[in-house]
Amino acid sequence: MTRRELLKLLTAAGLGAPFATRLVADEADKSPNRSARPENVVVPVSTRDRYPARLVDGKVIQPERPLTVIHETDVLVVGGGPAGFAAAVAAARVGVRTTLVERYGYLGGLWTGGLVLLVYPTHANENSILTKVVRGVGDELLGRIARYSEGATNYAAGKPDPTTDPEITKFVMDQMVQEAGVKMFFHCWVADVVMDGKAVGGVVLESKAGRQAILARVVVDASGDGDVFAAAGAEHEQRLHAVGLVHRLGNADRADLAKLQASGFKNLGAAEPLSSVRWVNLRGPSTDGLDIAELSRLEVEHRRSIWQRVEKIRQAPGGDKVFLLQTAPQIGVRITRLLAGTRKMTAREARSGRKFPDTVAIGGTYGAGAKNPGFHIPYGAMVPKSLDNLIAAGRCLDVDTPMVEDMRLIATCLLTGHAAGVAAALCVLEKCRPRDVDVAQLRGLLVKQGAYLG
Amino acid sequence: METTSRKFRWRHRLRPAGRWLVLFAAVALAWPWRGESSLSVFLPALSPFIAVASAVSVRSVGILALVALPVLLLILFYPRWWCRHACPVGLLQEVVERLRPISPRGLPNSPAIGPWLVLLTLGGAMLGYPLFLWLDPHAIFNSFMNAWRQPIVLATLLTGLGLPVLLLLDIAAPRLWCQRICPLGATQDLLGWPRRLFQRAGRCSKPDHVAGATQPKGRRRWFLAVAAGAAGAVALRSVRGQAALALRPPGSLDEARFVGVCVRCGNCAQVCPSNIIQPDFGGSGIAGFLTPRLRFDADYCRENCNRCNEICPSGAIARLSLAEKRRRVIGSASVDLDICLLAQGRECTACLQKCPYQAITMQSSDGGFSNEPRVDLQRCNGCGACEAVCPTHPVRAVRIQANPLSLPSWTRIIG
Repeated sequence: MTRRELLKLLTAAGLGAPFATRLVADEADKSPNRSARPENVVVPVSTRDRYPARLVDGKVIQPERPLTVIHETDVLVVGGGPAGFAAAVAAARVGVRTTLVERYGYLGGLWTGGLVLLVYPTHANENSILTKVVRGVGDELLGRIARYSEGATNYAAGKPDPTTDPEITKFVMDQMVQEAGVKMFFHCWVADVVMDGKAVGGVVLESKAGRQAILARVVVDASGDGDVFAAAGAEHEQRLHAVGLVHRLGNADRADLAKLQASGFKNLGAAEPLSSVRWVNLRGPSTDGLDIAELSRLEVEHRRSIWQRVEKIRQAPGGDKVFLLQTAPQIGVRITRLLAGTRKMTAREARSGRKFPDTVAIGGTYGAGAKNPGFHIPYGAMVPKSLDNLIAAGRCLDVDTPMVEDMRLIATCLLTGHAAGVAAALCVLEKCRPRDVDVAQLRGLLVKQGAYLG
Repeated sequence: METTSRKFRWRHRLRPAGRWLVLFAAVALAWPWRGESSLSVFLPALSPFIAVASAVSVRSVGILALVALPVLLLILFYPRWWCRHACPVGLLQEVVERLRPISPRGLPNSPAIGPWLVLLTLGGAMLGYPLFLWLDPHAIFNSFMNAWRQPIVLATLLTGLGLPVLLLLDIAAPRLWCQRICPLGATQDLLGWPRRLFQRAGRCSKPDHVAGATQPKGRRRWFLAVAAGAAGAVALRSVRGQAALALRPPGSLDEARFVGVCVRCGNCAQVCPSNIIQPDFGGSGIAGFLTPRLRFDADYCRENCNRCNEICPSGAIARLSLAEKRRRVIGSASVDLDICLLAQGRECTACLQKCPYQAITMQSSDGGFSNEPRVDLQRCNGCGACEAVCPTHPVRAVRIQANPLSLPSWTRIIG
């Protein structure tokens, strides 16, 4: 090791260690004032090598540069939404070193940050019996949320599709991830991928601390938008879908619904565990959810229409006490990129109840009462055609157009995340590529973790 | 003398052979375990009874009438030619008769009702309701064959009961059906006037056991029977008006005429690839018993299929090209917004996506905060894709409603 490398390592350690420990509350140390560090004091400016982009002949050129590796892990889960959460917990429980990176400061993604509070479809019609298909990690989470008073509605035996409180959901997710021993990095955005030959070797993070890297044996892409596999050059397609923004209304219990209905408001919104609050979905126009100009425009436009609606409600008879509690921190992007996997999942197969040898999850069928049997999700829809060391989870799997509407739902994301996490851990244990995973072993581990596979 | 007896012997041997051949051909034509085939239309279409009565009812002569034309010409000149030389049901009955310990002698001791059935049917046909068209033996034979399609369920088996009932009747009362009831046989008797001209000219044909002197006598009786048929048709129509509206295959006649013209042969249900055509049990009234109706529980009327339009022998379902069929209205989709998931704030768009004709769009209200499916009736032909895919249970939020009687399906064609 040269002197320069040693210095870099020390710098990385110096940067990374406090960064990491500050982010995640240490389970061992429960005291609230554990670091009695004085406030508002001067500390030395952390020095780092600077490689700014330069204008060369009118083009912006980014110079080649070495990146600090802040962490090495077995399984790296990108994205802390329902799929990423389930993947991280499941992988860590198999017994491999697991790390999760999330761009915001909380887990849950569009469930908590997007305020889509309805978790569905959790059930399917299996052999004419209403059967819970969201089991394992996902059901454990829902059960723990429901233990809190005002944690969840509709979570009981034989009842499908609970609605949960977003803050309790965030809190319980934090706890479960820590209990499983997952290392978490919040507030960092995956900017690029680290390629090791033709395989993924890690990711490049962008954060307030600058550009850094995490190396991993297997990466689970639960970013929702397929950020990792797209950066790695995996074959994929891109779609437009509705982009909306959820808001919540307070004092909904003090509104006179009968009077409001006369003014044209069919209902204020969907009920949630807090009896005084309603959450209101907004579908929004179909657009490119990767386009920041478009997303910015819609944030503004949606907030404007939300305010217009709230003002109308407040002016209508019976609605004067209602107020806008919050608009969602995260805009509701439904679908962007879809992976080209080793097997495309079609709605025709799903509706006909087709079983696959590599079924790793059975998705619920939405609907009051669930008419259809659960649909089998093959492992092949999660594995890229040619890219190695990456498994996709969540809404960005290889499915056809109608199937998108099932795969993007929270309950289904909990299922595909669970499967991807166990599969990634198995790759590490067996030292194999995701495409070479022994499916029987994978299914066995999933069942051991409580997953429902028929 | 020698030549005539040899000739007679030849005919004696040829006739049974020919009849067995027709029976095998009939089985082959109506063979239900075959893939795509329109052959099952031919056996019922051969019947002049069906051809004439349905042509009168529908008030048009289709290309299928050409099939029955040779038979019609033959029976004009040879009494009961079809019964003697071809009828597969008659042959089956003769086979069954041999199971009886004592062979029957002579004609059955009951009045001939066949000619009355024919005349009543024709009278009804003039008002669009051929009362007893479904008693045609070919249709009964076909419905027996079609009852065996997969999956075998009680409902379809019941439709095939006609033939076993006829055979049991033959054991109980030999030849009663052929000589006294069968409307196809009676048609041949009623069309006997050119033959009688020949008989007067000296060419005499010997009556045998299928030839019955079953014609009613006198013009007044003919007229009365036809008038009674017409009156019956009017009566049945008014009864039908009370019954629930049924969804019929695309291109079906208006409800009142459909239940009459349909011969219940089961062809349409047999060929339907999505298995949505099922026999009706009282849902469309007594008059509509065993007529085909559509159920969109599991599947829908496919946009790339017009097989039922090619297979109907009576014209109850019009012969339509694929393009014509796609534009013909079966019913219209309507949404129950109280149970529709999209209207309840869930992100279900199953029907919007499934509709092959893009007839369902999302209708937003309350500034985009409420959405519901909206059916464009100018595009909806009632194919049922939305109903089949709708996930709500046990009642579907989207359902196809039959058009009211005042608006028969054929009067409205989508653009």
